[in-house]
Amino acid sequence: MIAIKDLKKSYNSHEALKGISFNIKEGEFYGLLGPNGAGKTTTISIMSSILTPDSGEVLINGNNIYTHPNESKRIIGVVPQEIALYNELTAEENLWFWGGLYDVPKTELKKRIDEVLTLFGLSERRKDKVSTYSGGMKRRINIAAALLHQPRIVFMDEPTVGIDPQSRNLIFEVIEKLHSNGMTIVYTTHYMEEAERFCDRIGIIDNGQIIAEGTLDELRKSSSAKETIVITFNNLNDDKVQKIQSYWKDCSHTDDKIYFYTSDLKTELSKIISQCSDAGADIHNIEIKKVNLETVFLSLTGKQLRD
Amino acid sequence: MIKLTIKDLRLFFKDKRSMLLSFALPIALITLFALAFGGAGQGKKDTKISMQVSDLDQTPSSASAMQVLDSLKNVELLKVPLEKAQENIKKGDQACVLVIHKGFSDSLTAGKELPLELQYDEAQEIQVGLLQQSLIPTIAMLPFNIGNPKAVMRNRFDKMVPGASDTVKQNIQHKSDGLFDAITMGEMQSDGNDNAGAGLFGGDIKMTKLVAAEKDNSLGLVQAVAGTAVMMLLFSVVGIGAGILDEKQEGTLKRLLYTPMNPIKILFGKMISANVISIFQLVVMFLFASLVFGLDIYSHLSGLIITIVATAFACSAFGVFLASFAKSRQQVQGLSTLIILVMSAIGGSMMPIFFMPAFMQKIAVISVNFWSIQSFYDIFWRNLPITSGTFLSRILVLLLIGTILNSLAVVLFRKNILKLS
Repeated sequence: MIAIKDLKKSYNSHEALKGISFNIKEGEFYGLLGPNGAGKTTTISIMSSILTPDSGEVLINGNNIYTHPNESKRIIGVVPQEIALYNELTAEENLWFWGGLYDVPKTELKKRIDEVLTLFGLSERRKDKVSTYSGGMKRRINIAAALLHQPRIVFMDEPTVGIDPQSRNLIFEVIEKLHSNGMTIVYTTHYMEEAERFCDRIGIIDNGQIIAEGTLDELRKSSSAKETIVITFNNLNDDKVQKIQSYWKDCSHTDDKIYFYTSDLKTELSKIISQCSDAGADIHNIEIKKVNLETVFLSLTGKQLRD
Repeated sequence: MIKLTIKDLRLFFKDKRSMLLSFALPIALITLFALAFGGAGQGKKDTKISMQVSDLDQTPSSASAMQVLDSLKNVELLKVPLEKAQENIKKGDQACVLVIHKGFSDSLTAGKELPLELQYDEAQEIQVGLLQQSLIPTIAMLPFNIGNPKAVMRNRFDKMVPGASDTVKQNIQHKSDGLFDAITMGEMQSDGNDNAGAGLFGGDIKMTKLVAAEKDNSLGLVQAVAGTAVMMLLFSVVGIGAGILDEKQEGTLKRLLYTPMNPIKILFGKMISANVISIFQLVVMFLFASLVFGLDIYSHLSGLIITIVATAFACSAFGVFLASFAKSRQQVQGLSTLIILVMSAIGGSMMPIFFMPAFMQKIAVISVNFWSIQSFYDIFWRNLPITSGTFLSRILVLLLIGTILNSLAVVLFRKNILKLS
């Protein structure tokens, strides 16, 4: 459905994209995960044909988006990172305007506007100016405006930045519904929990490069990230820490906690507990931190996702 | 407190817009008004008032009279055939023509009233008034310089004392003839006042309004409505044009680019809306002037519509051009305030253009205001038909300005606005 081939883009001397390639299948939920400034928005802008790459190619449904921009644009919906709405117009007026730009017939558009307003829980506020909306409500209309022409592909560029939990949950539900209806979604975020929740496949982007790509399980396996067993003790002292560290090399210690790193949690947990007991340390609490995108990202790049 | 003051001063001097409005704009306006009101360049050729002269007498006396007039320090004499001179006045290019009618030479010899006529545009009464101050004493002294003062004196005396006996008349004429002979031979010294004879010898010129106001349309009213309307329109269209920069800043422009619409249509849409709003604004202003001040717009409806459309086109193009040229709304506002006030000052929005010296009138043509206000004058003041070459040429200039600025806006829009990175 989407083929990205060796995209390169520089702004003056800064290389924003250093040759990005990936493919997205029809109906797939693809996540572009990376910290701020990694190149996510540049990639989305090029894929939406509003930015020209220095080199490389973007094929949407087999069409090069630069030679057939209109065919591509008609099947793509873009949810921009910023709230791109006319504040002095009502929600309904905004939707009429944005939907109208895709030549959706009036009667059909009216029906779709009613549908999206209901879907996003904004029917009752449809006649209110967008300027009177909360941040979360604006985000919802921002997404709704991208769906009116019923695109087959939707690019969502960090669509949940800075919103309240209620709106976030509602948006999550809508996104899941769109995906279950077969829509191809490209989703950029630096919230790992969103990527973990929605994405069939994830491309981890950093410094303008895809540094890893695959399903969450594939990424977990391919990375050197380990699960962490955090044990809190009642009577920890230097002697006991030294004893435990002599049994278990791959661990670290802060205050009354010791962090044990393992790639085989099931077999090694009981072993660690028994060694702690041998060292005379009295266990107060055990916490297990599984490998997630955050730890995968950390192991791949050496930095936090939200750096 | 001092720290706060220093901080405020720092912010003020770093804010280019504030600097522009606080210093550059007032300096520019002071310069313009000083130039306009003659505070600068006095004594130079540019401060002369131009006057056309048509010599229908074509005698050595009329030629001598023109020579005398040409020697006036503050008058620039333009010798023009009468028909052409009248056309110039009707077009608004010249304020007046002094016509030396046939019989001038004979009247001068006979000491009779000189057949001189000043045909003028009532719209330029102030300039004509200034001219009169120089002309009347000079013309009054013409019989002394090139004519027969004795005959003048005799005629005057006859008029002043119609019932005097022949003996009294002869006696007085004899004495006055002796007096003039003494002056001619240099036996009596002038008191240095060249205008000494003016009161005594008249210097009357027949005044004829070649272009006159209609009953309902006073010059002041036309000037007030046209001048203000164009200036305010420029301010409002810049605001509309700057909307495109707001769209860029708020992300709606980017969102528009995601749609299948051709990007240039975004600019065309802005141009059309600026035109529609401009036309609406001008219509409201002229309707207001008609309803409240009685400006007769209905007798000139076709001309008014053409001028409103052309003015709206040129002004809205200016607004869109400025927005395409600038990088932010703040920059547009700073730039536009300066440019619009300067254009309005030189173009005749703030004061009638004929108040200004000749060189200022020449540079006025660079402003949209000038062409627009002159077109409104053509309709309401000069009563030119819409088929008049003068009127149509001004409309053509407005349309040309609009076309050029719109074309430049397209180029700049592609270069500046569409560049999202």
